[in-house]
Amino acid sequence: RCHLTGSTAASPTSIDPEHRTAVALPVAAIKSLLGVIQRSKATTMMGLQEDLRGATEEMMTFATESPGSLQLLGGRSHIALASGCELFMKYVTRAFLELPDFAACIAQVLERGERFAGISLAARDRIAEVGQAFIQDGQTVLTHGWSRVVSNLLVKAAEHRHFSIVVLEGRPDAAGAKAAKVYADAGIPTTVVLDSAMACAMESADLVIVGAEGVVENGGIVNKMGTYGLGIAARELGKPFYVAAESYKFARLYPLNQSDLPPMGPAAKLNFVDTASWEMTGGLVGKAKAPVNTDKDGKVDASSVPGVVQFKPNQIKVKNPPCDYTPAKYITLLFTDLGVLTPSAVSDELIRLYQ
Amino acid sequence: RGGGGAGGSTTNPFRTLLDLQGALRTKSVYVLDGGGGGSGGGKGEAGEGASGSSSQETIDPAMDKRLPVFAHLPQYKDPKHFEKEFSGVALGGGGLTLSSSSAARQQFHPAILSLGMQYASGTIRGGNARAKAMLRAFQQVIRDYEPPTGSGNSNTAASGGRPPTSRSPKDDIRHDLDHRIIKPAFQYWTTQCRPHSVSMGNAFTFLKLAVAALDRDMALEEVKEILVETIDAYIHERIDLADKAISKYASSKIVDGDVILTYGCSNVVEVLLLEAARDKGVDSFRVIVVDSRPLLEGRALVARLAEAGVECTYILLNALSYVMMREVTKVFLGASALMSDGSVLSRVGTAGVALMARSNNIPVLVCCETYKISNRVQLESITGNEMGNPDDVVIAGCAMDRAGGSSECGGGDGSSSGGAKQTNSIISDWRAVPNLKVMNLLYDLTPSEFVSGIVTEMGILPATSVAVLLREMNPQDTNTAFMGDM
Repeated sequence: RCHLTGSTAASPTSIDPEHRTAVALPVAAIKSLLGVIQRSKATTMMGLQEDLRGATEEMMTFATESPGSLQLLGGRSHIALASGCELFMKYVTRAFLELPDFAACIAQVLERGERFAGISLAARDRIAEVGQAFIQDGQTVLTHGWSRVVSNLLVKAAEHRHFSIVVLEGRPDAAGAKAAKVYADAGIPTTVVLDSAMACAMESADLVIVGAEGVVENGGIVNKMGTYGLGIAARELGKPFYVAAESYKFARLYPLNQSDLPPMGPAAKLNFVDTASWEMTGGLVGKAKAPVNTDKDGKVDASSVPGVVQFKPNQIKVKNPPCDYTPAKYITLLFTDLGVLTPSAVSDELIRLYQ
Repeated sequence: RGGGGAGGSTTNPFRTLLDLQGALRTKSVYVLDGGGGGSGGGKGEAGEGASGSSSQETIDPAMDKRLPVFAHLPQYKDPKHFEKEFSGVALGGGGLTLSSSSAARQQFHPAILSLGMQYASGTIRGGNARAKAMLRAFQQVIRDYEPPTGSGNSNTAASGGRPPTSRSPKDDIRHDLDHRIIKPAFQYWTTQCRPHSVSMGNAFTFLKLAVAALDRDMALEEVKEILVETIDAYIHERIDLADKAISKYASSKIVDGDVILTYGCSNVVEVLLLEAARDKGVDSFRVIVVDSRPLLEGRALVARLAEAGVECTYILLNALSYVMMREVTKVFLGASALMSDGSVLSRVGTAGVALMARSNNIPVLVCCETYKISNRVQLESITGNEMGNPDDVVIAGCAMDRAGGSSECGGGDGSSSGGAKQTNSIISDWRAVPNLKVMNLLYDLTPSEFVSGIVTEMGILPATSVAVLLREMNPQDTNTAFMGDM
């Protein structure tokens, strides 16, 4: 659990991308699984697999259902977590049949496990290496959401070239705005626009780079809501659409359309705030002319903040799925630690990885 | 041909062709005779008589019923007109009779002959059915197999099955089985009865490999036992179990409230729909079966689905756009063969269904076992196809004929017209009508862009991964330039 939350606090209240650890969630999970192997009391390979599977399920349950999970996953899906663990299990238990001695087996399994964890950790750097070549001087990169892989790639590319970034704001978690701070700190000229401006901003962009929560079998991706629209706009306007993702995110899913995605993690509650009118009412919290109400827990009563649109309970449905599915035909190339892949090569890799 | 004009001199076609050859400086000129391959006439065109020598006679171009674009394909052979071709199996008034004077009857096992007749008459249709029937027939033949007498090497169980110490090639059971029994039977079916499907071809290749893999000095009984078991295993794993696995993967894509469309009658689609109905309940989805003339195969599927309690709708192909736009949520199609670039060879009409689904953003899932994968690549529906009975297309009842007060329309079920009453439709006598040709193609090719996913026993794959499957299944066949480090 320490690994997963990346902090020693018992209940994390908020995890800023800037302050989260550098370790990706699935990689932390993989390291935990290594620990499970070390501490396992199983005497057969099947027993070990059972232990690993049990541990994976525990982690999945924690990640999706525990009270802190929204902050933990940041409104993302748990596909990468599931696929990372499954690939790890497949990888480590693959070549065990030849060894008669179980202790020797375990030693080899551990070695493979360390290697896998090492590969996953180094994946981001390798992706930055292959991906930088695709950004040229003077270009404008359009990006969406917060992804450590993408930010690593862009920051590394900025060391050799001059380009600018346009970031979509990223409601409801302001992921894009937070990412923009990171890029600006790295010295890259950055612009933030509304999510709804994506098609309009596409016209002045030269390429799109996004990360992925999961890469599915047909080469499509599951990523933060809004990526699908970005893909359609990019294709329509003839801009290349690149995805940066580690290979442990390759999942054995085959979505046929948006409604065919597996159930996602918890959805963030949406607040509808007329920020345009804040200027006039001076309605930022703490600066309101009228005192804002707090309930007994000290939480701000939303209805008292000026500009917040309140619905009668159960009058209007609000849907906020965290992720959408971008089909393979909108994706030009994927930057992975296995190299630069076309969407159709993803299935090839998956067949090999899961053989 | 330069055209002789009305009543003009009859030109010897060969002379013209030779001139053509000279003019084009071609190496050779293929005479595409409608009969092809020495098997004699092909189309039963009235007024042509024994067609083996038809290349020497003049054919009035207006009355020529051959289709130039499809002349390279095996042309349809009507079993009734060419009973001699079937080597002793004749359709009499009451049914099959075996003519005793045929040499072929002595050559082929009766199981082979009767299966050939079933292929030719269309009693057995569908990739799985034809391949299974072929393998079962081979099992029968193998069980009854006797090595050629006079080899002095026949082993029977009674003699303890002691293998001989050495066998010359002509005494080799494998060689004998392959050359005398298996190959000729397959050739007979393909050339005399009906061109083989990809499923049959792959199963046949498998059988040849199984025979060749036998131990050279194995006893006869053991040979038979092993071969029969191997065939059983193939049928069980690559067809029956594969269908079960496909059902499982495809059913996982069916959600409550789905309206599923399918075309024709595919064995594996039927299995998966029945399985899904069992697992999710018959009320969870409904099925629209699209059917088309002349085979009208969908009727059988609808009957079986309805019997199982599934809510079905039955339409003909011309109503497709209506249901597609309004109701359908998913399309499941079967395949006769899967090309290695992911395009699908299936019953004619399938490409249209896939196209319509694609343009309405409806996912199309093609269900196909891996044994139907062909390492050919076909780019359109012309180079590899099959011609059916042209009479099936023209002779059938229709509403207009009935309204016109003509006598009873015949052959409403699309079967061949033997005995069915002729309608007054002008094209029922199409052979006598000049400048009129009739075409009945059996297959078409669906490009891989229209296919959202291919469901095989290995899971759901994108169409681009069929080549990967082929590679994984046949690693010994991969020719790569990167063999350096091996």
